[in-house]
Amino acid sequence: MRLHRIRLRDFRGVHDREVALAERGVTVLQGDNEVGKTSTVAALDLLFDAADSSRRADIRAAQPAGVDAGPEVEAEVSTGPYRFVYRKRWLRRPRTELHVLEPAREQLTGADAHARVTAILDETMDRVLWRGLRVEQHTAVGQADLGGQDALTRALDRAASGAARPDPTADDGLVERAVEELRRYRTPSGRATGELRAAEVRLADAETEHERCRAALEAVERDVAARDRLDADAAGVRSRRLAHAAQVAELEDRWAGLQSRLREVETARGRAVLARERAETARERREARDALVAAVEADAAVVERAEEARDAHDAEHVAAREERDVLRAADTAARGEAAAARRAADDTARAVSAARDRAELADLAERLRRVEEAESGLAAAERVLATATVGPDDLDALEDLARDLLRAEAARDAAATRVELIAPAELTVVVDGEPVTLAPGRTQNLPVAGSRAVSVPGVLDVRVRPGHDEAGRDDAVRACARALDERCADLGVADLEAARAARRRADEAARRAAEHRAARDRELAGHGSTAALREAQDAVRGRLGEDDGVGRGDDLFSIAEPAAVEPVGADLAALRQASDAARVAADDAVRRADEAGAACRAAEDAVRGAETRAAVLAERAADARHAHARRAEELRAARAAEPDADLAAAEEDRRARAREAEREHESLAAALADDDPDTVEARVVNARAVDERLAAEAARLEREHAETTGRLQAAGLEGWHDQLAAAATELEAAVRDHDAVARRAAAARRLHETLARHRDRVRRSYVAPFRAQVERLARIVFGPSLSLEIDEDLRITHRTLHGTTVAFGALSSGAQEQLGLCARLACAALVDPADGVPVVIDDALGHTDPERLARLGAVFTAATAAEGAAQVVVLTCTPERYHGIGAATVVPLAPSRRPDDRDHRDDRDDRDDREHRDDRHDHHPDEHDVAPAGEDTPARTPGTVVDLPRTPRAG
Amino acid sequence: MRFVHTADWQLGMTRRVLGARPPKEAAGGLTGEAQARFAQARLDAVSTLGRLADERDAAFVLVCGDVFESNLVGPDVVARACEALASFRTPVLLLPGNHDPADAACVLRRPDFVRRCPPHITVLDTPGVHEVAPGVEVVAAPWRSKHPLTDLVGEQLAALDPAPPGTLRVLAGHGELDVLDPDDDEPARIRRDGVLAALADGRVHYVALGDRHSTWADAVDDRIRHPGTPEVTDFDEVDPGHVLVVDLDEHAARVSVETVGRWRFVRHDAGLDGDDDLDALDARLAALLDKERTAVRLALVGTLSLRQRSRLDDLLAAHGHAFAAVEVLEQHSDLATVPDDADLDDLALHGFARDAATDLFAAARRDDAEARDALRLLHRLVGSPR
Repeated sequence: MRLHRIRLRDFRGVHDREVALAERGVTVLQGDNEVGKTSTVAALDLLFDAADSSRRADIRAAQPAGVDAGPEVEAEVSTGPYRFVYRKRWLRRPRTELHVLEPAREQLTGADAHARVTAILDETMDRVLWRGLRVEQHTAVGQADLGGQDALTRALDRAASGAARPDPTADDGLVERAVEELRRYRTPSGRATGELRAAEVRLADAETEHERCRAALEAVERDVAARDRLDADAAGVRSRRLAHAAQVAELEDRWAGLQSRLREVETARGRAVLARERAETARERREARDALVAAVEADAAVVERAEEARDAHDAEHVAAREERDVLRAADTAARGEAAAARRAADDTARAVSAARDRAELADLAERLRRVEEAESGLAAAERVLATATVGPDDLDALEDLARDLLRAEAARDAAATRVELIAPAELTVVVDGEPVTLAPGRTQNLPVAGSRAVSVPGVLDVRVRPGHDEAGRDDAVRACARALDERCADLGVADLEAARAARRRADEAARRAAEHRAARDRELAGHGSTAALREAQDAVRGRLGEDDGVGRGDDLFSIAEPAAVEPVGADLAALRQASDAARVAADDAVRRADEAGAACRAAEDAVRGAETRAAVLAERAADARHAHARRAEELRAARAAEPDADLAAAEEDRRARAREAEREHESLAAALADDDPDTVEARVVNARAVDERLAAEAARLEREHAETTGRLQAAGLEGWHDQLAAAATELEAAVRDHDAVARRAAAARRLHETLARHRDRVRRSYVAPFRAQVERLARIVFGPSLSLEIDEDLRITHRTLHGTTVAFGALSSGAQEQLGLCARLACAALVDPADGVPVVIDDALGHTDPERLARLGAVFTAATAAEGAAQVVVLTCTPERYHGIGAATVVPLAPSRRPDDRDHRDDRDDRDDREHRDDRHDHHPDEHDVAPAGEDTPARTPGTVVDLPRTPRAG
Repeated sequence: MRFVHTADWQLGMTRRVLGARPPKEAAGGLTGEAQARFAQARLDAVSTLGRLADERDAAFVLVCGDVFESNLVGPDVVARACEALASFRTPVLLLPGNHDPADAACVLRRPDFVRRCPPHITVLDTPGVHEVAPGVEVVAAPWRSKHPLTDLVGEQLAALDPAPPGTLRVLAGHGELDVLDPDDDEPARIRRDGVLAALADGRVHYVALGDRHSTWADAVDDRIRHPGTPEVTDFDEVDPGHVLVVDLDEHAARVSVETVGRWRFVRHDAGLDGDDDLDALDARLAALLDKERTAVRLALVGTLSLRQRSRLDDLLAAHGHAFAAVEVLEQHSDLATVPDDADLDDLALHGFARDAATDLFAAARRDDAEARDALRLLHRLVGSPR
């Protein structure tokens, strides 16, 4: 389709304007905002789509405000073989006019005209492509949705194949409808759904139901057969029971006869057993008699042996008693000797003890004397100590006082006035009443303490008196001296010297007392005190008195005699030796006596044992005699009752009778065995068991018969045949239904797959030429290293530039805009010239820098250079963006205003002068009649006519 | 002596061709309706023959087997049968046949039947001679099981002496004569020679048979007869829907064939090779009367284009609504659908869609049924653009 010119009247803000477009290459419509650029394109859509009677919102919006005139659009268009002028007015006096100029002229109005144009456009133009290739204003120039449009696909298909133009609605959305059809049966994941699912469920249910009914019917048929079989079986059992009964009766008779004979045999056997028992009894009695006789004889032998033993023992007993008597005498003698030896040993021991006590007594007396001496010394020293008044501390105090006095005197003397007496010759002077001889040449110093009187007797008396200070010092001396004297007086001594002497005496006495005390203690060692020592002495003395029976006086004397001690010590050793010997001898004697006693006791025991045994033997002999006598008596009594010969005869007789009975039993038993009673019994038992079994079998059959009959009666009311028939019918219908639905589902899938496969194949075949075209154009912008990836939906997915591949969405807005433009222009260049639609670009490329803009100009030129290439219409308010397009035809648009309504328009401008809304304003109330249409040349309205350089129409 | 000879009532029979009656759902819808009407028609036929017997003053009605379709029909079938029988004034003799043999489950001995059975009904479930009226004897040869191992009729005939003078004897049997179905392996076939001999020497005077649903009379002695089913049961039956009114004496039987059935089962074989044949089929179906009581079974042979096949489908669907059933018997049909170029052009497809359609056409010509279905779907989708 090619647009030659478009005329708008009272359309939005356009009062009356006609725009002529270049038939090939780029037409740039440039003009300020709200001048009506976008309205021009919108008007075209309305012209083609909306009937003149339409009151659609966008038509009402196209009505100029406040003006009684309907919007009017006129266009001259070439498409396919047609060229026509088409004009419409809406809302006010609606009207449609069509003047077809080529190939044959015709004129139509009203609905006929609209229908004719629609038919022409449908026949010759791809309206979806027409919209797809448009870049709307203030929308980003992104990817055109090319692949998703079947129409574009078809356009590309036509472009590639050159096929005839089809009815454009024929396969619109065919694939989608195929998918929809498929979804009636299967979900996207392939599961059955809807009708197919229902058919499957119905089929499964029908199969289940059919199987259930069939099984039930078969069960009934089995029961019918079972009933027949049961009837036959029952008859068989009855006849067998009948036949069997006779056999049982015969066997029972035979068995009864055999049983009476069995009882006879049993009786004979009882008799034989009894006779045998009696024979045994007779034999036992005879044997008991024999045993009794033997026992009497044995008893006599026992008596004899017992008496012999008793006699032999009596002899041994006498010898033992004699030996015991000898040993008893020896024992008595040994005990006497042992007593004598013990007495001798005791005497010697006492002598030794007395001697030792005497020596101890002498020692104790000596120690006692020394103790008494020490105690008297100690008492003397303690007396001295008791008188001593000066303790060591007292003496120290006195010494201190004396020292103080000396210091005081020294101080007084050092400070005191001195009188130096120097005599040229020896001279005696009296100083303070005492004569003092002065050696010649010597100086005699006299301290003046207090007053001093020096006189050379007769010659001179000198009185020296100290001054006031010196008197005070003298008082200190006197105080010290007084204190010393008072202390001495307290201690009871005359002076310090006396105190020291008293202290020395006391110390001496203490030393002596210590010596005496040590001596005493040494003597008292082991006794503790003098009294204890005396007690020890008294104890020893007492012992001596008791032992010796010697008078105390003698003893005291002997102890008192120091000489007597010596012989006692010597005698003691001898005494001890004698004592030891005596003790040894006594011990020997005792041991011998013990031995003799033991021997005597052994002999006594032997005698007692022999006596016990003699008693036992005597008793045993008596018992034997008694037993013998009793048994002999028993034998005699037995023989008196029944002589031995009778017993033997009875035994013989019974034994013969027993043998007779046994023979009889054996003959009867043998006769019975010949008739084989065991076999007869076994057969009888078996026959009875068979009878029972048959009875049980008959009962079982009867029971099963009853059960089967009951089941059959119940089943009869179930109507299984009807149910099965219904189920079979349903199953067949379900199978048929399922087959049909499954076939339809398979067909839908097959159709969809086939369609999709071919569509994809076609799309793939479009990709290569489309990409080549897009790349050709895009390389002008991006340089020769550019390459693009394009998917089957004809979308640019990646751009590779200088070896760097970037996803489309990651590209800058500018690059996306430029590529989108290239893709549209490529479409325009690709499609067949006769099919091409104008590419309309409403003020795009706002993101493109000047360098790229310049290159895009070359793209426009290259895309439209080919003979028959599509028209490109660019609407812009910034014409410099498109200056770089060499092949551009620039059409400046000026406002088309109603001259009589300028104020009104200005008001609106003040309010709405915004670029992005310019398509909705510029209302210019005005009213015009529809201009006559059909001229070959555009009408020219003063002030709005734009004259265009007319280029030759493309082929 | 006059009596009515009938057989093969097959009460309780359903026909799958008449459609499904879902067993667990309430009966309803078109298909269930046809099934129910068919069941009612069988009962109506019984009532009709009962009235006929009354009108003709028959001595009795003899039903030679297969009164019920099965021994296991439901109590409802039994109850309705008893109701229909109760409307008779003429005594009725019921012989157990192969569908309702006198076995352990025999419906004629079932409590629900016995309880409702009117007093003038006699069940001939014991073999042998039954005197049904003075001077009239019926020799019954009932089926005792589904698979008898002997010729039951021959067995009965062999045990008979010639009928006493003045006594008419009718043999009641069930089964095919060996001349009608020469199956040597079937031991229960009725030996025709024995039957003819018995008729010849006067042991019996009429041999009333059942089991064959078509009306039939023996060519040598027309006293050997099958009355056929009183109401049609299948497509292969020849002249069903009748009962026989027999006037019998010791030498001959005068038989009149009376129609009681109202349904028809029609089989039609058609060659379909173009629109003319389709027109003919359409006309043929349209010409059939009593469509609501007619089931049609078609065996179709031929080759149709895609469009013609669609036409056939539409045609059958349209008639299917009028008839009790219209069925295409697949196993006897050989109908090829071969799309032609006109079909393809009809689609008016272009681009890849045309390529896809061409693919499917090629596959359809190779007898790919799925591709053919897909093409028909495509046809539909193209014909209904949004």
